[in-house]
Amino acid sequence: MPIAERGYIHWDGELLERRRPWLPITRQGIRLAFKRKYFKFSFFVSLVPAFGFLVGIYAAEKIQDFKLKIEGVSTILQVNPGFFRAYFAGDFLLFMMLMLMVLSGAGLIADELRHNALQLYFARPLTKKDYFMGKAAILVFFLSLVTVVPGLVFIICKLIFSGSFRFLADYPWIGLSVIGFSALVTAFFSFYTLMISSVSKNRRYTAILLFTIYIFSDVLFGIFYASFRNPYFALLSIKANLQQVGAAFFNVKAPYAVSWIYSLAVLLTLCAVSAFILHKRVKGVEVIK
Amino acid sequence: MGIELKDIRFSYGRVQALDGIDIRLEGGAVGLLGPNGAGKSTLLKIMLGFLRPDQGEGRVLDHDIRTEQTLIRRRVGYMPENDCFIPGMDAVTFTAYFGELSGMPRQEAMKRAHDVLFYVGLGESRYRQLETYSAGMKQRLKLAQAIVHDPKLLFLDEPTNNLDPQGRKEILELILEISSKKDIQVLISSHILPDIEFICSYVVILNKGRVAAKGELANLREASFRLFELKVKGEPARFLERIRALGCKVEETEDMILKVYMPPQLERKAIFQTAVEERIQVRQFLKSQTSLEDVFAKAVGVD
Repeated sequence: MPIAERGYIHWDGELLERRRPWLPITRQGIRLAFKRKYFKFSFFVSLVPAFGFLVGIYAAEKIQDFKLKIEGVSTILQVNPGFFRAYFAGDFLLFMMLMLMVLSGAGLIADELRHNALQLYFARPLTKKDYFMGKAAILVFFLSLVTVVPGLVFIICKLIFSGSFRFLADYPWIGLSVIGFSALVTAFFSFYTLMISSVSKNRRYTAILLFTIYIFSDVLFGIFYASFRNPYFALLSIKANLQQVGAAFFNVKAPYAVSWIYSLAVLLTLCAVSAFILHKRVKGVEVIK
Repeated sequence: MGIELKDIRFSYGRVQALDGIDIRLEGGAVGLLGPNGAGKSTLLKIMLGFLRPDQGEGRVLDHDIRTEQTLIRRRVGYMPENDCFIPGMDAVTFTAYFGELSGMPRQEAMKRAHDVLFYVGLGESRYRQLETYSAGMKQRLKLAQAIVHDPKLLFLDEPTNNLDPQGRKEILELILEISSKKDIQVLISSHILPDIEFICSYVVILNKGRVAAKGELANLREASFRLFELKVKGEPARFLERIRALGCKVEETEDMILKVYMPPQLERKAIFQTAVEERIQVRQFLKSQTSLEDVFAKAVGVD
């Protein structure tokens, strides 16, 4: 007999009280992101620098093994904190992270606002915090795959290829720097993306906004810096702030003559403002109209 | 126990949205009626734990509405009024997803999603993308996600919106069947009074934040008015004028039948007495059923 003709039947299972009720949101979000046409391409392109740097680590060790006397090679392929900074705070990786956010994150909240899905979430045993955690974890997942995961792989590969722990003895803090800077970049992009995604019901609009604010802040910095030669204008640029803090995390010279503390303060302020806007834009109580 | 609310008061700033709501609902299907701004949505929000009442106390499925909101929402199903879905998903993923968010184990949620989609009549199109669904299909989908975790209490907000007559009939029959299960209570908020009449035996009518009427539909019909259908011979103008003066509400139908709503205190004899005095011959005098529309109109004070 077809199920429809059997009438309503009860489910005889037991509802679970989950410790992480946001996990299904994350799992579903990751699955949906990979269904998007350009996302997969963009994701794999964002892994290209990681492979490039990995080859660099390998090459650096091999060059030393064979004692090749190529002028300048030792400085170009030296695996040191500068190498890590070049990876983490490089223009290309930051741009690709932005692209990942545009393709996977722009619609995270915007689509659900547009199609009134929030009321379905909040009629469940989910709090607003769970909802945000679930959404943020999607972004954290993708960003971690291009930040902390390659960073730790670089360290492990360096140790394997060199066959000694000398690198760790020279820079015992490098692992923490990788984790710390990855956490900062990930947290910043997650807050920034979720906030922008919540300001409109239109995914295209939020995607454009995500992209434009990032690029425009950098253009603005470029214009002011070229006109006034004042390095403090770097604080206007999201990218420059990330690079300043990146340099501090990896203990190398900052690209601009501004204290990295100011840059960190700008980034943290942006995170706080994003959290505030998110809180205001997504209200559980408005689910029933 | 289903729902028990005592002296619930809630205001949005200076606007008093709910003013001393006392209701106790157990089992079956209950219709929640009221004009716009009567406080239906606010009451639903309070029952789902989204708003804390300024005053009063209440329990939904034996959970306190002030402190156990999460527990309430775990056991409640909610079908919202407006279209809602997540783009990029098919129906079975969507339904299973919300089952999982309600606390069902992942595989169980998927299995149950298939069952409820067949139940609501979306079995054949369960793998289709939700963007391609018609308005009627989306309405069925909303019902599916509301019942996927087998709730003990089902809140349905305008469940027959956007449905064609056949679809409406099918959905109403499904809801009627669900509400006939002894351990599931259904609370329906709708402006379509015939739908409420079809499903509910008990109604709560809100007006200006207060309970304007509540009780078994049959009793409310009886208590509010007694409706009689009359066929008369003669010139009825004066007769109608006099029975209106007695407190009756009279409607004339196209086929010359007079629908007379008699106030509870008036005896039938008075109608016949007036007819005799006005030399009117009463050829038919049948007791008829008052519609929910009449009960509603009387409760909220409109004609």
